[in-house]
Amino acid sequence: MPITDDMIIEATGELYSRSLRKVPEDAKAALAAAMQTETSETARQTLKFQLKSAEMAENKDSFVCSDSGVPVYFVKVGSKAELDCDFKASIRRGYETLVETIDPPLLKHVTNPITLERGYHGKDMPIVTYDFESGVDYVEMVCSPKALGSGRWAALELFTFPTLEEIETYILDVAIKAGAQHCPPVLMGVGIGGTFDHCAGLAKKQTLRPIGEKNPDPVLAAMEARLTKAINGLGFGPMGTGGDTTVLGVHVDFSSGHGFTPVAVCFNCWINRRARVRIWGDGRMEWSE
Amino acid sequence: MSVTEHELTLPLSHEAAQKLNLGDFVYLTGEIFATAGLPTHDRLLKCLEGAEPLPFDMSGSALFHLGSLNEEAEDGSLSIVYMNPTTSTRFNRHMPRLIPGLGLRATGGKGGLDAACARAMAENGCVYLSFLGGGAPIITAGIRKVTGIGWPEMISHYRIARIEVERLGPLTVGIDARGNSIYDRTSKESLEKRASILDAMRAERDSFEA
Repeated sequence: MPITDDMIIEATGELYSRSLRKVPEDAKAALAAAMQTETSETARQTLKFQLKSAEMAENKDSFVCSDSGVPVYFVKVGSKAELDCDFKASIRRGYETLVETIDPPLLKHVTNPITLERGYHGKDMPIVTYDFESGVDYVEMVCSPKALGSGRWAALELFTFPTLEEIETYILDVAIKAGAQHCPPVLMGVGIGGTFDHCAGLAKKQTLRPIGEKNPDPVLAAMEARLTKAINGLGFGPMGTGGDTTVLGVHVDFSSGHGFTPVAVCFNCWINRRARVRIWGDGRMEWSE
Repeated sequence: MSVTEHELTLPLSHEAAQKLNLGDFVYLTGEIFATAGLPTHDRLLKCLEGAEPLPFDMSGSALFHLGSLNEEAEDGSLSIVYMNPTTSTRFNRHMPRLIPGLGLRATGGKGGLDAACARAMAENGCVYLSFLGGGAPIITAGIRKVTGIGWPEMISHYRIARIEVERLGPLTVGIDARGNSIYDRTSKESLEKRASILDAMRAERDSFEA
């Protein structure tokens, strides 16, 4: 049986709604682990309240944060998936339906950058990235809404044949500039290489990787551990009021490119909004996060 | 080791504000004002210049950078469905004039304010309180009653909500009434540590064997 418009519409709304109400299990586990290692009492208490907020939102089925951000989706279509749907139209429809029906209602955060007018809808909303996955017969959708709080501190710079030291220094400096601002402890996504446009996507996709999952590339795994330790040594701490936990993790990926090497860095605030579903042709929807 | 906690009643007295130290936790009971709007802050500054009256008497009050979904029911009753802090540094250019202009005793949101704001706070005996970002369930639970919504023609999170709160918190003292700032301190310390952190990273890279 093919995957239909109704299935995409349902998944689009449900993913956004879930991402606003439930902090992913891996993020909660990382916050709990940080409570064991924190040496600042203020920081430990702040981590405790972050976990309490996550728990209350789940129990009350309410939002963790009042800023629901803008809708951002990543779609992977399996090469063996059978589709009978207008994918783009259904995602738009799913988002429109969500805005009309979600309880509690969303605030108006979608902003026209030219006029600064705000509403629920706007040009190119939702923001969707499409990709393919070989050999599977499902469609996977991830929703990772983004707001100003952590979104505004992302950065990208172009280097020419940089050393690893130059790359890591840049990443550290981006973390210093963001400082206390992005609702730490954050998850940092880093992309290295490819092209300007591709590199930003690499960084963003690294924030969708589960926290605590070891990078299979030993060079990148060492880099992630090194950067995590370095940035946590800066002292900004949970909510930027001091402590040893500024990042829950740093996730790095790279792509080959030319001698010009973009390096992109982005942040997810501590609630790590991310919801995922796999949709099969028989109507099954497997939700995770 | 424990954190010092304060149960405070609003409006905050000069003496009560002076007793708060960086990193202390605070719970507030009384009246606060909340808005997350940049246009709102522009408009407040224009009020101080005499363009229009303020929507409320805000002198000596607590004005926080909080966005809320507020509603007016058909019977005229007001409510807030959820509320949460926004990034305060967006208002760095407003606060040095709003703090003395409104005589604010407390302000806050998340992420702190800059050194110019901290100076204005020291001169006026005002504290900055850090709210938990992503803390909507906890913060909303501190709302007892919504007593006014100023500038209702604006979108929800830009309006100024006047709220009676009960044990609103925990809030962390981020900038005290003497102008000491966790944000300035951690920012300076991070720059001081930068060179030694880079050295440690270099040593780790040099000893790495895949």
